[in-house]
Amino acid sequence: MKSKMRLLIRLIAIAAVICIAAWMFVIGRGHTVYFDNKTLTTEDGTVYEAPYQIQVFVNDESMGKLKEGDRGMASTMGQDFKMVLHITPEKDAKKTGSAVTLKLPYSMDGIIINLPALLGGAPEEVYREEFIPAAPEGDEEDVEITEGFEMPLEDE
Amino acid sequence: MNKNTSANKSKGNLGSFLRRSSVPIMFIIICAFCIPLSGLSPSYLVNEIVTRMGRNAFLILSLLIPIMAGMGLNFGMTLGAMAGQIGLILASDWQIVGIPGMVLAAIISVPISILLGLFCGKILNMAKGREMITSYIMSFFINGVYQLVVLYLMGSVIPIAHSTIKLPRGYGIRNTVSLLAMRQHLDNLIPLTIKGVKIPVATFLVIALLCVFIIWFRRTKLGQDMRAVGQDMEVARDAGIKVERTRIIAIVISTILAGIGMIIYLQNMGNIATYSSHSQIGMFCIAALLVGGASVDKASIGNVFLGVILFHLMFIVAPRAGAAITGDSMIGEYFRVFVSYAVITIALIMYETNKRREKSRNSEQLQQAQQEEENR
Amino acid sequence: MNTDKKEKGRIGQFIESFGLPRLIITAFLLLLLILAPFVGADLPTQITNIIARFSWNGILVLAMVPMVHSGCGLNFGLPLGIISGLLGATLSIEFGFTGGLSFVMAILIATPFALVLGSGYGWLLNKIKGGEMMIATYVGFSSVSFMCMMWLVLPYKSPNMVWGLSGKGLRTTISLEGYYIDTLARFLRIRIGNLEIPTGTILFFALLAFLMWAFLHTKTGTAMTAVGSNPTFAKAAGINVDKIRLLSVVMSTWLAAVGILVYEQGFGFVQLYMAPFYMALPAVSAILIGGATVNKATIMNVIIGTILYQGIVTMTPTVMNNMVHMDMSEVIRIIASQGMILYALTRKTEGAK
Repeated sequence: MKSKMRLLIRLIAIAAVICIAAWMFVIGRGHTVYFDNKTLTTEDGTVYEAPYQIQVFVNDESMGKLKEGDRGMASTMGQDFKMVLHITPEKDAKKTGSAVTLKLPYSMDGIIINLPALLGGAPEEVYREEFIPAAPEGDEEDVEITEGFEMPLEDE
Repeated sequence: MNKNTSANKSKGNLGSFLRRSSVPIMFIIICAFCIPLSGLSPSYLVNEIVTRMGRNAFLILSLLIPIMAGMGLNFGMTLGAMAGQIGLILASDWQIVGIPGMVLAAIISVPISILLGLFCGKILNMAKGREMITSYIMSFFINGVYQLVVLYLMGSVIPIAHSTIKLPRGYGIRNTVSLLAMRQHLDNLIPLTIKGVKIPVATFLVIALLCVFIIWFRRTKLGQDMRAVGQDMEVARDAGIKVERTRIIAIVISTILAGIGMIIYLQNMGNIATYSSHSQIGMFCIAALLVGGASVDKASIGNVFLGVILFHLMFIVAPRAGAAITGDSMIGEYFRVFVSYAVITIALIMYETNKRREKSRNSEQLQQAQQEEENR
Repeated sequence: MNTDKKEKGRIGQFIESFGLPRLIITAFLLLLLILAPFVGADLPTQITNIIARFSWNGILVLAMVPMVHSGCGLNFGLPLGIISGLLGATLSIEFGFTGGLSFVMAILIATPFALVLGSGYGWLLNKIKGGEMMIATYVGFSSVSFMCMMWLVLPYKSPNMVWGLSGKGLRTTISLEGYYIDTLARFLRIRIGNLEIPTGTILFFALLAFLMWAFLHTKTGTAMTAVGSNPTFAKAAGINVDKIRLLSVVMSTWLAAVGILVYEQGFGFVQLYMAPFYMALPAVSAILIGGATVNKATIMNVIIGTILYQGIVTMTPTVMNNMVHMDMSEVIRIIASQGMILYALTRKTEGAK
């Protein structure tokens, strides 16, 4: 009886740990989000005109003031992505604020969001694009195999 | 007779206190000598020490439990460090960032640590009386296995998606894996700066939690058993304690803690040196613990913190002080390495001589008792 | 008929005394040798390499024998002896000796260092009976890191050894060109096609091995074995245990000093600073692969072990690289040799310590 109890407790503990791990997968997924303030013309000829300037805030932190044609960037965690946009349509015009909440796809590491299209109410496929980084410099690295542990000369 | 031994004991206590504190005192002198020569500002030093305290304390604390179980300095803590690194490599390849990434890495590392700990514990049970050299060679052996896994199996058998982590040839992990997405996330979770000194509050809380765990653990049945095994294996066995099992558990716990400690260490550093991060850890931690006044058979939480302060203070100031004296910074670097090794050597020698002295004293007492018996 | 039976019994005994791990390693090496021609490696060149590496390393492995015999365990403190050898080498060059003479002088100069350091080391090991191996390891490390400072500080002047730019501090590697490179190997060197045998080096090793064998059969030598196998009995028999142990440590240290000099004459360079750091490990695993245990080692173990170890070191990369195009040989060698040490450490030793 006691051993059965123990087994049960262990199983529950393992299940709990696995649940935590799964939860971490959900909330901890990191994405890099790139914001483009660029005019976008879709295939069917719709044009989303870029405003003069958009300032992007993520977590109350400014990610930069994007002039027309600029790209900004933010690292985020989790799939729910919130940002606040301060849009200046024309030079010296009045700012308008707009809060946007997006669902980021789990499979994409880097995501490019075209802000004019997003603000213009375009569908997901139009304003969102996967960012595929250029492969890092192709130099082969030499890995040194160690027999024992070298003397720790360098500081940590 | 009874009175005599107790008087002896108190005298021995004073003597052993001095012996125990000789290493810390020596280090205080070295530091006092080197700090002015190094020309480093006190605020810089305090900042560094606080950072290193957060970085290293957890790892060093992982050494305490095997010492309690009489297994000496667990050079096999490197095994846990490797498990932690594997966890971090996988978590960063899956792009799980921040604290969740660390938690996930810890969860991955634990089963690996348990397996390695079980293996290590089993082997150490086969090599009783030579635990330290065996755990030392064990760390080299597992280092070979680790290199096999990380350099050849990752990317070919274990899927690795990102080319920033993988070697260009298609398998194997790069020399450095960036942990930018996790860097100091735990340290900065609760930001606090006092007079320009950045304090990693959350990290300290985790360390405090571990300290509480260790104190609590000492009082549990298992903890008591461990101490009994540490004092005398045969007596413990006669008292019905499963000696082998207890020793294995001690190593497993130590390995798991070392794995988690390594994750905390690396989140502070901000990148993994895939093939060398773990290799320095063993020596750094053991030397620091010994500098804090611990010995091979006795170590307390206080030793850990004193050790971090003194050892790392020496480590920071020695090269600059060496350069100031000789004009060559390499000498200072070699000097601190020499001192680290010398400290470990001296501690080991003191431990062995004490053990022998005690042994001969015990046999003398036994002889005396026998004689008394005969006289009666 | 009779001899046949005897032979069989011998073979059975041989396998038993050889042990399974060694058998596997031997089989592996033989497999590599058979495979070598098929993957396009030149067998004579490979064998030349194995013989050469055997001749370089033999004496370093031989240095393990006395301490194992006296019960001091595996000499992880080999770097201490190596340092004596390095002092001999650098001083011999500093004093301006060249050619073959520099080798003789290097040995002569190294000897007092080896005796003094070895005595101190032996005295220490007598204080800490039972914990020799761990302390030996750290004595080795401490002395290597101490000498790292000394190589920088000591007033060496020879332009062939110091850093050209600053004119002080020894270089990490010093070429032996013009000094004792190949001094021994050149002696009676045999060349058949691609096969080359450094007869002199092998003879030198044979001489030392024979002396060691002869020593172990003298009165002191048997006393040493007695101390190692049963110290209580040895003490009862009136043997001065500490003195015998001290002698074994000094012998081991001196052999390590000579061993590194022989290694250098084959390798062609003196390696300073960190180089001696892990030189003990290959020597330790070599003698264990040869069939030695923590408290038992013979000259045969040394010879077999060195050939097997060095054979695997030279053969695996060539064969592996050609077969699977994935050079895992180094990692495999590390796992195998460390595993061998681990295996030896877990064996029960005869006689209580």
